[in-house]
Amino acid sequence: MDQTHASSPLAGAVHDLATEVVLALRSGDHLATVCGAAGIDEENRTGIAAARVIGADLLLPSVLYGRHPHPGDVAVLDRAVREFPPKPDAPAATAWSHWHMISTLQRMAQPPGTTGTTGTASPGTYEEPDAAWLEQAPWQSFTHQLSVLAPLAVPAAPSAVQRAAAARAVDLARGFVRAVRRRDWLQAAGAGRWLAAIGGEPATLGLERGLDFVELMGGHDPRVTLHVRAARLMAEARAR
Amino acid sequence: MSSGNTGIQQIHDVGAKALGWLYEHREGFRLEADPSPEAGMLDRFKPLGELALIGKVIFREGVAGSQQSALAHKLLDHAWHELLDSGARLLEGQRREPLSPVPLEVYVPFRELGYRQPDLESAIRLNHRLASWAALEVLPVRRLGLSAIERRFGVEPSVPETAALAHTWLARRPEPWTVEGHIGYDITHTVFHLTDWGEKPADLPVDIAEYLELWLPAWLDDWLDLKRWDLLGELLVVDACLPSPTLDAAAWQGFAQAQQPDGAMPVVGDMPEGDEESVFDLVYHPTLVAAFASALAMSRALSDLSAPATAPA
Repeated sequence: MDQTHASSPLAGAVHDLATEVVLALRSGDHLATVCGAAGIDEENRTGIAAARVIGADLLLPSVLYGRHPHPGDVAVLDRAVREFPPKPDAPAATAWSHWHMISTLQRMAQPPGTTGTTGTASPGTYEEPDAAWLEQAPWQSFTHQLSVLAPLAVPAAPSAVQRAAAARAVDLARGFVRAVRRRDWLQAAGAGRWLAAIGGEPATLGLERGLDFVELMGGHDPRVTLHVRAARLMAEARAR
Repeated sequence: MSSGNTGIQQIHDVGAKALGWLYEHREGFRLEADPSPEAGMLDRFKPLGELALIGKVIFREGVAGSQQSALAHKLLDHAWHELLDSGARLLEGQRREPLSPVPLEVYVPFRELGYRQPDLESAIRLNHRLASWAALEVLPVRRLGLSAIERRFGVEPSVPETAALAHTWLARRPEPWTVEGHIGYDITHTVFHLTDWGEKPADLPVDIAEYLELWLPAWLDDWLDLKRWDLLGELLVVDACLPSPTLDAAAWQGFAQAQQPDGAMPVVGDMPEGDEESVFDLVYHPTLVAAFASALAMSRALSDLSAPATAPA
């Protein structure tokens, strides 16, 4: 796999995983296995850590195309949830990401016994974290935090974070402007993905062209492309 | 560095200190006694034109305090009588470059305060009849400014203001994330021309006001972060022209902290170094803008306090 841009084995694995998610989003191929294509399985410690970084977006192609995820991808995500539980004093964004991985697994994983998967039991429940801090945050840090939580920006996955986002579309749109101006393409892509998911952004933002611009400028990072492609798929679905 | 003060007091102090510096350094608004033909003698009129437009607003607003109003008036008096030789230098400039709109632009705010130069007015009226005058190729925002200044002088704008506005960047309300420095100044000056430099905030068209209310916070944040005080100050003027000014606390705080103890405001980052004249030429503009932003923000804050339920006049 291409690790020429990676500064560490973990960064390389994150790069590879994100690249495979992008390819699967592009092809819409329901047989695609993200982790397999990236050369990652449950026994690959670095790969599992990378899966924790990508989070529930590991299953994003299945989520957006409404298809069953590949059992190998489910197994890796499940392993990542078990291996990297948030510490009690973990940042709220970490707790939210963990919660979202679990709830995505519960929504997407095939019912037990339908296939010969790795036989994992449910990773259990994890109480939905608090989001009051988000409602109070200034628009700058609000956008930054939301962008970190961009995997939660998917259809039919209600959460307190999503409700907070929907209530502050103008703030997110300002944050998108700020991120583009600062050339923080990853943050801009995450903010743009949220706007595509929730709608309600001011028309003068020019979100569609903005996402194209972010991809053009920052698309060398597959995590940027991942968010931009997710945003486009959601915007197309909302337009239908 | 100023510190300790916040809110209205801080905004007031920025203006008082800036105006004090401008008055103290009023000789800096000098014209060359014998400019070389290549230099373009009208170049040195630009600072005076800005002083006149902004000084007039500060003088008229009054809310900045009677002391500041009086200081602004003394500055304008000095500029007209000492630097412009009661308008004779404007006439001289017009004779040298007959088709230049600069003398008109500098003259109008003085004229509105009662200073007159009848021979200059004859030249302006003749110019106004020339097809060449209306055909002058200038940037859209400058054309809007010329139309506004013609109206203020009392002649029909060569290009109607609505037509001139339509060609500006701001009127098209483009993608806000494309704004960089030059576009920033195009935005602020479009607002200045539409509102007669903040005298008539209600003249801002509704669609433009809504657009600015949406995106100005992002631009203020950006230019505060970049420490570009000159443009930040102009954006704070724009804020004060909106139907509901935010008086952005973080932007004002950063702006106030950038101001020097003597009242000078750097263009960007820290104060430049050099001899007195070259430093003046670099910082007079942001310092003038600081006085301007303060006067308008004070005016809007106090009028909103006294009439919270009514639309700004």
